[in-house]
Amino acid sequence: MNYQALAKKLVQRAARKGATQAEAFIQVGRESSVRVRDGAIEDLTQATSRGVGLRVIAGSRLGFAYTSDFNPATLDAFVDRALQLASAAAPNRHNGLPKKADLEGRQDVGPLFDPAVANLPADWKVKTALEIERAAKAFDPRVTTFDSVGAGDHVSEVYVASTEGLSDSYQGTYVFMYAVPVATDGHGGLQTSYWVDYKRFLDELDTPEAIGTEAARRAVRMLGAKKVKSQKVPVIFDPLMAATFVGNVAAAASGDLIFKKSSIFVGRLGKKVGASGVTIVDDGLLARGLGTSPFDGEGVPTRRTPLIEAGVLKGFLYDAFTARKAGAKSTGNASRGYASLPHIGFNNLYLERGDVSPETLIGEVKNGFYVTAMLGHGANVVTGEYSRGANGLWIRDGELAEPVQEVTVAGDLLGMLSSIDGIGSDLTLRGPVGAPTIRFSELTVSGE
Amino acid sequence: MKKSPAASLVVPAIRSPILAPALLEKVLARAMARGGEFAEVYVERSVSTAVVLEEKQIKSAQCGLTQGVGVRVIADGKVGYAYSDDLDDAALFRAAETAALIAESGGSERTFRVSRAALPSYYRVDTPLADVEVARKVDLVKRANAAAYAYDKRVKQVTATYADTSKAIWIANTENRLVADNQDLCRLGVHVVAEGKKGERRTGFFGGGGRVGFNYFDSFTPEHVAKEAARQAIATLGAVDAKAGQQTVVLAPGWSGILLHEAVGHGLEADFIRKKTSLFTGKLGQQVASPKVTVIDDGTVANARGSINTDDEGNPGQHKVLIENGILKGYMYDAHNAKLMGQKSTGSGRRQSFKHMPMPRMTNTYLAPGDDAPEDIIRSVRRGLYCANFGGGQVDITNGNFVFEISEAYEIENGKLGRPVKGATLIGVGPEALKNVTMVGCDPMPDPGLGICGKDGQNVPVGVGLPTLRIDNMTVGGTRV
Repeated sequence: MNYQALAKKLVQRAARKGATQAEAFIQVGRESSVRVRDGAIEDLTQATSRGVGLRVIAGSRLGFAYTSDFNPATLDAFVDRALQLASAAAPNRHNGLPKKADLEGRQDVGPLFDPAVANLPADWKVKTALEIERAAKAFDPRVTTFDSVGAGDHVSEVYVASTEGLSDSYQGTYVFMYAVPVATDGHGGLQTSYWVDYKRFLDELDTPEAIGTEAARRAVRMLGAKKVKSQKVPVIFDPLMAATFVGNVAAAASGDLIFKKSSIFVGRLGKKVGASGVTIVDDGLLARGLGTSPFDGEGVPTRRTPLIEAGVLKGFLYDAFTARKAGAKSTGNASRGYASLPHIGFNNLYLERGDVSPETLIGEVKNGFYVTAMLGHGANVVTGEYSRGANGLWIRDGELAEPVQEVTVAGDLLGMLSSIDGIGSDLTLRGPVGAPTIRFSELTVSGE
Repeated sequence: MKKSPAASLVVPAIRSPILAPALLEKVLARAMARGGEFAEVYVERSVSTAVVLEEKQIKSAQCGLTQGVGVRVIADGKVGYAYSDDLDDAALFRAAETAALIAESGGSERTFRVSRAALPSYYRVDTPLADVEVARKVDLVKRANAAAYAYDKRVKQVTATYADTSKAIWIANTENRLVADNQDLCRLGVHVVAEGKKGERRTGFFGGGGRVGFNYFDSFTPEHVAKEAARQAIATLGAVDAKAGQQTVVLAPGWSGILLHEAVGHGLEADFIRKKTSLFTGKLGQQVASPKVTVIDDGTVANARGSINTDDEGNPGQHKVLIENGILKGYMYDAHNAKLMGQKSTGSGRRQSFKHMPMPRMTNTYLAPGDDAPEDIIRSVRRGLYCANFGGGQVDITNGNFVFEISEAYEIENGKLGRPVKGATLIGVGPEALKNVTMVGCDPMPDPGLGICGKDGQNVPVGVGLPTLRIDNMTVGGTRV
């Protein structure tokens, strides 16, 4: 099926039926994944999927409809439905699609599609997952079972068209593998952890051995974990946990929340909000990045947007609607699937690396907490409260010591950003959000 | 009420099979063509509507249609799964052939007959939610918005969301079973930001719904929802930081049932038991909670959000006692794990959509009421924390660590509620926390119908419920040492 032509046709039909503006967003994908258990396949999934979302503006009223049924009769009714929904909405002068000028200025994002991933045989996934399982078991006999071990890939195509002259598409590949082992101490004590890699290109993917071994190491070292006393101490987040913190901070930099005065960053643009080493960037152009694309969910070119630079709040993330409301410019951060209207999201989000090794960051702590897993949703970006369940290792005299569980770490987002007194040199992206190891000079650990 | 031009706008929900049983039988035959012990076809058609109001304006009204088929083949205990958004004959057969690739034994020509099984009816909705005019849904969020602002002039932001789905499913399998069910589900939610002195901001959230008709909102009014959301935000202005460390906590009834869902519920799902990744593995018949604790998972509660006439494998929803007077009585099984473990399905096989394989999930999970009057429970605590409202929770089923976030809390001083507290999170290990339950209220209450449970990337609607509860030595996460 010619999806580009279909997108245009739907837009034209909407315009003919009375839409002032219209935009079609089509997603087509296929995926394949495998999980293994005890040296054999546990399950195998293969699928194709597609869907279309249609956004119409009629007299500054917005309507949106989506469907995964491409039957011609359904598609006809679907255009009518979007228009009818617009008539149910209230007029809002900020409604509108990105204009021609907003759609221009694309930069080269490089390749996003790896034929090696697109043609990956099922055998490769089975073999990879089996190797991960073997490596994890070989690492330590206390690894007795797995929640899951798997590998997979997906290929995704996006087609967009609008009355404002937009007509484009791109396709990308994704390949991933992971292990979630469980370690047993033989006396009923169980601990789990995980390790994962997720890339666009096959040659960038870690080895199965590395994934299995690291996952096992992280699970086994937690055996015997205990609670500690409540205290205020230096706290280090490992890169995975630091990435979740960066996600919380960036969520507060959503232009929509700023406009609604519902973020800790309200009124702080251009001001110091963090330690001077802190630079957080959303980069839609990152070469080979998982979150890289030539344009966002409404056709606006992606770009590099510094949110915090050397501790100073530099910018917010916008889609077209919010930008218009706030008198700003879209930053190319309209995120969406076919079944949703564009909303503000991240492209590739990361905290820039520092120049200290993670070993040094740990080595400088006499008594502190190294966090490797967390529970809960993290921060309230309106109030800045941060409180999460945490597991990890206690730090004694600069060395990782006994495992710790059933405690929380708490602070407030602004205070935490300012108290970062060490940033590691170990930035690696294992997903669209990444960070190096970070150290907070003091957070509250709640336990006994 | 003013009539909107969209008054006639509906996308009719489908109430009768869109695929003939004879076609489903052919698809099953194709799925078993290479051998295997079981095959299943799951067909879904969902119509969803959502209306969002923010900044005093309707931000969007949207509507969508999702349909597709998922085919599962089990051969030698291995599972092949394929899905497609297309429902034409060719796509159905293609999905069946893809799922069949898991089987290697080489099958033979077999035919399968399915016959429609009768199902119970726990949530009959006369007018499917998809058939209710969008204008009425728009009106609901407008009323909520007005009521929230009217509550207090410190209310500065209101976001009101109404969402519904009319979902129809058909499940046919090689055990001759064919079931069809219509599952309507809706919720209204209001989020409020209040601003106090010196720019202090607090948030409040309330909402509810269930597998109910639209007239549910005649009694569960948008005004009631909005006032409660606004009340939470205003009541917590000026809250003090939570004190860190072990305390006696009292949980208000209702939403606090998240505690059960996280602390024990997930750990009793049979896939974790089979894989031996749950700390409850091998503990049937053992004391895992205080004798005051009886935990039930019940998919048969009338009109509740987590109720199911059939699970997503064609087995009826059930009432299951998981823990009785502190003794572990049973796990929650889907059909696949039950078969592998020599057990029977408990009607717990659920999936988010045709794009997902079913797995054991909770439905409505609640704690049976005890004898204590709620006021006596609060009065019994010299110093502690009263948890009035809750955010979300999460559990690590392997080590049992769970958290749940407290969105509205008060200090308890000498048996009386004191200052509001902010930023508190409860953390514990499931069985230990439940062994520390010392008082159980006589005031059972279901949550208002908002719960979404996520597992392995799949979301399903669930319910929870709890009477007022006292737990001793609970670790409260906070910033004050």
